[in-house]
Amino acid sequence: MKQFGTILKFELKNYAKNKAFVGITIFLVVLIAALMFLPRIIALFENEDPSDDANESLSVMLIKADDPAQAEMVKETFAASFGDYNVQMTDEEIHSIKDKITSGDVECAFVLNGPTSFTYYVNNLSMYDMNPDIASEVLQQIYQMNAMIGGGMSAEDAAGVMSIRIDGEVESLGKDQMQNFFYTYIMIFALYMVILLYGQMVAMSVATEKSSRAMELLVTSAKPLNMMFGKVLAACAAGLIQLVAIFGSALLFYNVNKSYWGDNGIIDSIFNIPPELFVYMLVFFLLGFLIYAFLYGAISSTVSKLEDINTAVQPVTYLFLFGFMVVMFSMSGGNVDHLLMRICSYLPFTSPMAMFTRIAMSTVPWYEIALSIGILIASTFGIGVLSAKIYRVGVLMYGTSPKIGNIIKAVWKA
Amino acid sequence: MVLELLNIEKSFGEKKVLTDVSLKAEGGKAFGLLGRNGAGKTTSIRILMGVFPADSGRVLIDGAPIDYSKIGIGYLPEERGLYPKKIILDQLTYFAELKGMNRKAAVKAVDYWLERLGMTEYRNKKLETLSKGNQQKIQLVTALSHDPDIIILDEPFSGLDPVNAMLLKDVVKEEIRRGKIVLFSSHQMNYIEEFCDCIAILNQGKVALCGEMHTIKRNYPRDRLVVRSEKADAILSDFGSSCTKTEDGALMIQLASPADKKPVMIRLTEQYDVDEVKVFEPSLNDIFVQYAGDAAKEGEQ
Repeated sequence: MKQFGTILKFELKNYAKNKAFVGITIFLVVLIAALMFLPRIIALFENEDPSDDANESLSVMLIKADDPAQAEMVKETFAASFGDYNVQMTDEEIHSIKDKITSGDVECAFVLNGPTSFTYYVNNLSMYDMNPDIASEVLQQIYQMNAMIGGGMSAEDAAGVMSIRIDGEVESLGKDQMQNFFYTYIMIFALYMVILLYGQMVAMSVATEKSSRAMELLVTSAKPLNMMFGKVLAACAAGLIQLVAIFGSALLFYNVNKSYWGDNGIIDSIFNIPPELFVYMLVFFLLGFLIYAFLYGAISSTVSKLEDINTAVQPVTYLFLFGFMVVMFSMSGGNVDHLLMRICSYLPFTSPMAMFTRIAMSTVPWYEIALSIGILIASTFGIGVLSAKIYRVGVLMYGTSPKIGNIIKAVWKA
Repeated sequence: MVLELLNIEKSFGEKKVLTDVSLKAEGGKAFGLLGRNGAGKTTSIRILMGVFPADSGRVLIDGAPIDYSKIGIGYLPEERGLYPKKIILDQLTYFAELKGMNRKAAVKAVDYWLERLGMTEYRNKKLETLSKGNQQKIQLVTALSHDPDIIILDEPFSGLDPVNAMLLKDVVKEEIRRGKIVLFSSHQMNYIEEFCDCIAILNQGKVALCGEMHTIKRNYPRDRLVVRSEKADAILSDFGSSCTKTEDGALMIQLASPADKKPVMIRLTEQYDVDEVKVFEPSLNDIFVQYAGDAAKEGEQ
């Protein structure tokens, strides 16, 4: 136990002295800070802008309507509906409108061919361009208004009918996928980053000791089990410290700038994670991290040259990516309870992501959660012990990477 | 303290590495483990240290199975290597702590050994900035700092200059005097000859020869004389075919039987101006080549 403590301390110190590790952490904290201060900074610049020339800075939208009666009505409603634009009426020919758009003087133009049809001109059609949809709606409303007035209804009544609001409430008895989507996404992504990053670090640390032959002395000085658990838990602790630094500073800087963020549903939902879900997140995160770190450590101990690590750990990376993909696709598909996800939520290598996603975005009975966590804990411990054995056998094998069969045989005998 | 390996057997896969290996090393004496490359020395050492278990056989201390939590072992591996990019003091105390010392005692012991080996000035430097010989001295500290009962030195002299070799010899002699079991593995026979009271020669995983050095040497037939003289040519012609000249200029006289030793010696000293005359004892090198070499030829067949 004392030896384990010594190893843990030594390995942790290595992370603290690792310039890349410290650098990345500081960089990410600064990045998060910058992100969180962004609305405040933007607000600063907006205040300096004199509101007079706000109109000039807006991009120009041209409207061409041949029917004068329509033109009158359209000008007001379009100006009201497109607040982001400087809406102007025009009588120009279509080709000159097109020229203005391509030259950049005008952002876009609507040419109304009648009460129910229009052509929308724009230089580059953005993926998120909603203007035609808005125009359709506006024109539809004008048409309906006119029809009602024509049918004998007063303008006020017609407007009242048009602006009727329906009150509706949604009450979810299970989980609100929308609300939980973001922190599930963040947790899965953080797990993805941390496992790949720290798995590599554990692998590098083992392989460096092996290639520098410090291993010769280590295996004779320390028990492989202590060595493996010390290394992996140190990586885990370092990873947690890094995450706490990043998310802690995010929370801190968010609260400093809270008033500038307004009612941002996404960010609110991230920071208002329910406590029990946070506990699940921690449990699955830790176990998921450990099981992969053990695998990375064990595999890299069989490698003789540093440059062979990447090829050697590839199967583990693919295994992890498989789980990641399944979860990501299920999340964006909105169904996290299909058969593959159910299977994945019990398999130890995919359950940290799959089960957590199901807990967060669906309703899972407690015994399923308990079973999944039980399997995960048992297999994490099993993989840990096994990886220590592989480590002991692997580190003294030099030369070409041994075949899996040989390793299994050697571990079996050890 | 007596360290024994009894009937050790070990295979890696299909390959039998050690066959019925038995050794006995005593405290206060140095033991030389010899053998050609791949003879099974490192495997024996690793089994002795408990890195992996033997397939069968036992490792005993004073007749009882070895308890690694009580018996300290210091090891200088043949494949040297520590952390090149770490501060020397940090990694040396780390290794001492791994062997069970607390931090304070570890730092104290490391400082003592750095001083003893004249390396104090490098205390806070990174290992990679040192020369190869100095790195080796640093590595030696890892084998000694925790005051082990058994010290295993695998090729300790390779890469050391004569001054450092002398320093190491003094240190090793000191440890032997303190009653430690010192196990040497080396190809440099002169050092083994100088230190070791007992030797074992491993050959293809078997003990080819084991015992006290002077007994082994005395067991060779004492039927040859080594003569040094200014009148070498006269002796050569007098003794005819029984006398040959060796590479270093001495003469070797083959006696008809060991009993002829005295009369021949008297005859030599009376008739010629002789600087030196003694019974030929084979050097460890000769013994090694004989025991390790024969089987090597077998192996090549």
